[in-house]
Amino acid sequence: MSSTSVYPTPINAFKQSKRSVLSIIVDNEPGILARIVGLFSGRGYNIEALNVTVVDIKNNLSRITIETLGEEKVISQIIAQLEKLVPVHSATNLANLSESYEAEICLVKIEFDNNEQDQKILNFADIYRSRTVQKRQNIVVYEISGTSERINKFLDDLNTIGGIKVELVRSGPIGLGI
Amino acid sequence: MDNENEFTGADILLKALKDQEVDTIFGYPGGAVLPIYDAIFGQNFLKHVLVRQEAGAVHAAEGYARSSGKVGVLLVTSGPGVTNVVTGLTDALMDSIPIVCISGQVPSHLIGTDAFQECDTTGITRPCTKHNYLVKDVSKLSETIHEAFKIASSGRPGPVLIDIPKDVQFAKSKYIPKKDISFREHRIKAGSKNVNKNFVEELVNHIKKSERPIFYVGGGCLNSGPQASQELIKLVNKTNIPITTTLHGLGCFPGEDKSSLGMLGMHGNYEANLAMNKCDLMINVGARFDDRVTGRLDAFSPDSVKFHIDIDQSSINKNVKVDFHTNTDITLTLKEINSFIESNNIELEKKDYTNWWGQINDWRKKECLHYEQGEEIIKPQHAISRLYDLTSHKDTFITTEVGQHQMWAAQYYKFSKPNRWITSGGLGTMGFGMPAAVGAQMANPDSLVIDIAGEASFLMNIQEIATAVQYKLPIKIFILNNEYMGMVRQWQELLHGSRYSESYVDALPDFKKLAESFNAVGVRAKNISELDDAINEMVSIDRPVIADIWVDKKENCFPMIPSGAAHHEMLLSKYDKENPENQEKGKVLV
Ligand SMILES: Cc1ncc(C[n+]2csc(CCOP(=O)(O)OP(=O)(O)O)c2C)c(N)n1
Ligand SMILES: [Mg+2]
Repeated sequence: MSSTSVYPTPINAFKQSKRSVLSIIVDNEPGILARIVGLFSGRGYNIEALNVTVVDIKNNLSRITIETLGEEKVISQIIAQLEKLVPVHSATNLANLSESYEAEICLVKIEFDNNEQDQKILNFADIYRSRTVQKRQNIVVYEISGTSERINKFLDDLNTIGGIKVELVRSGPIGLGI
Repeated sequence: MDNENEFTGADILLKALKDQEVDTIFGYPGGAVLPIYDAIFGQNFLKHVLVRQEAGAVHAAEGYARSSGKVGVLLVTSGPGVTNVVTGLTDALMDSIPIVCISGQVPSHLIGTDAFQECDTTGITRPCTKHNYLVKDVSKLSETIHEAFKIASSGRPGPVLIDIPKDVQFAKSKYIPKKDISFREHRIKAGSKNVNKNFVEELVNHIKKSERPIFYVGGGCLNSGPQASQELIKLVNKTNIPITTTLHGLGCFPGEDKSSLGMLGMHGNYEANLAMNKCDLMINVGARFDDRVTGRLDAFSPDSVKFHIDIDQSSINKNVKVDFHTNTDITLTLKEINSFIESNNIELEKKDYTNWWGQINDWRKKECLHYEQGEEIIKPQHAISRLYDLTSHKDTFITTEVGQHQMWAAQYYKFSKPNRWITSGGLGTMGFGMPAAVGAQMANPDSLVIDIAGEASFLMNIQEIATAVQYKLPIKIFILNNEYMGMVRQWQELLHGSRYSESYVDALPDFKKLAESFNAVGVRAKNISELDDAINEMVSIDRPVIADIWVDKKENCFPMIPSGAAHHEMLLSKYDKENPENQEKGKVLV
């Protein structure tokens, strides 16, 4: 990854690029999402997932959850930069908390041709306890939630079934510290 | 509906500016700000300075802010008016200068229709402001303006922009005075008011233990206010610790004091850079470990324990990892350090760091700023030295453009007070200095304000002479005319085999005639015998003056730590050759 200076940086200072989930509380006002996203893109950091919704109507607060990859030093710099933004109340790296929980939701639409496929799909859906949202003759829509990892596994398993067509949407992870 | 307690958006803006004690605004009119200009017409507390291009307005506001410690304010129209200030906003963001920019916007119902002179102002300026607003509801205007001033000047200062659609300037609402607004703390981010006692104690303990301590002081010290500088002087005198400053720290500590090692960094003093390299204790006061200062990071001050005082949390551990830090204001922290030393009767005077000072004095013997002034051609260094000698007894403010002349100014002009030195450091904006001088002169009408300029930079905002003439601002433009983009030429000489690609400034105007055509005064020095007279004449004339000083065209600025090199790999003159491996590495850097 890029260093924060134009000069070469001691090699061992960076390296371990790891996944972090950042949880940010902001005043719900125009421009704040753009500022946050710009902070990432302007520095060449990638956003793997992003979720934003109002969580406190009375105080007009939104919670933004961002999944990103980066070395520890880069992530702490991002957190410090986020905390400088005027509408930001707090920015936390969930990975730094002793206890935090994550969840994600995914909707999957599967088109299939035959019974054999249907059975396999049903089987996986059952194992992963996904909820049937809609079922038609050749189409089924499931809702599955849990950690991103669990959803990945479910999708991997589905992909072992030949000849089906999968379309999906994921919320990206959301998380809370305790 | 018409209520005498209600005012138009334009009037609310003016009321808020008055409430904020703004007496000067730099601006340029256009369709989307006409209601505001109408309101300006009918009042007399606010002096409007009409610049000649909006870039001039923003740099003037910067110069005003830097030289006065107040917030600089500017007013521009929508579309091209505001895109012209993007460079200046970025400049103010990089150098932590508090300014508030008011921009007009097309009427609300036209936003998003590609209306005439519409642009996405908040979108374009988002990455180059500390914060910005699009005000769509006139009832929010008072609060927005007061918050903008608070944000611009709190914590680490910076530029804030308020975009006001034309219909909002006409719409009516109540005015809410500043005193009735309760700011929300999380938005202001003023930094902690509590001094970190543990930091102070650790620092004093380390000072007691250390053999080779150094203060490394930056622009944060300036932004903390003049009191910070007083506390710093006290602390340095008490401890006898050598002090070096960054480009922006110049003036926070008297440059001629025996404890001062001068500026450090790419064109910093030999003794300052070597002391940074060899110290065992570094006390960073409001500096940000900029790449122009650190040189190659893996060789930066390898053996020191590092303390960092900076109000901006994100400056801590950004480029260089430090051992101790605090985010409390510099004045408060330094005050606490001083009183801790006093109240605990810690006798630091006895610790005079004899060996360390001996070592530093040996480095000083290199006389890294030495130059040979011949009989004929003016050496640029000499021009600055003479300017200093002939003006330092006056109350003088120096602004600069960007290039060799800027570095020579930093090296040879000595500052004894903060806020006297106004230069574009972080962004390095050519064309900054002259409008900044206009701003500084507005803030300090009785002082001597000099823009130390290069001929190429000066051409970038030359139109602002007209502003100086119109408002009878007797600024001086002291051009070190080498007919080259000297700094570019120097890099080409050192890194690109002397291939001077496009760095010769051909077809220069006759600066003397140019001055006269603007109704300013032109003076010229072609050789050494004319230099002092030119300077004295320039200073004595109570009008804007352009002094065209012809200097050695091939002179280079030394010392120099080439990009990618370490502090101890400094070049002291053109006879020093750079290690070829560094040269290849350095070429790809900036
Ligand atoms: C707006 C802008 N464009 C380009 C540069 C790159 N640059 C840095 S110094 C310099 C040359 C400046 O020439 P001059 O003003 O004559 O100063 P000198 O170095 O000759 O003293 C240039 C082009 C810059 N700093 N700013
Ligand atoms: Mg030049």
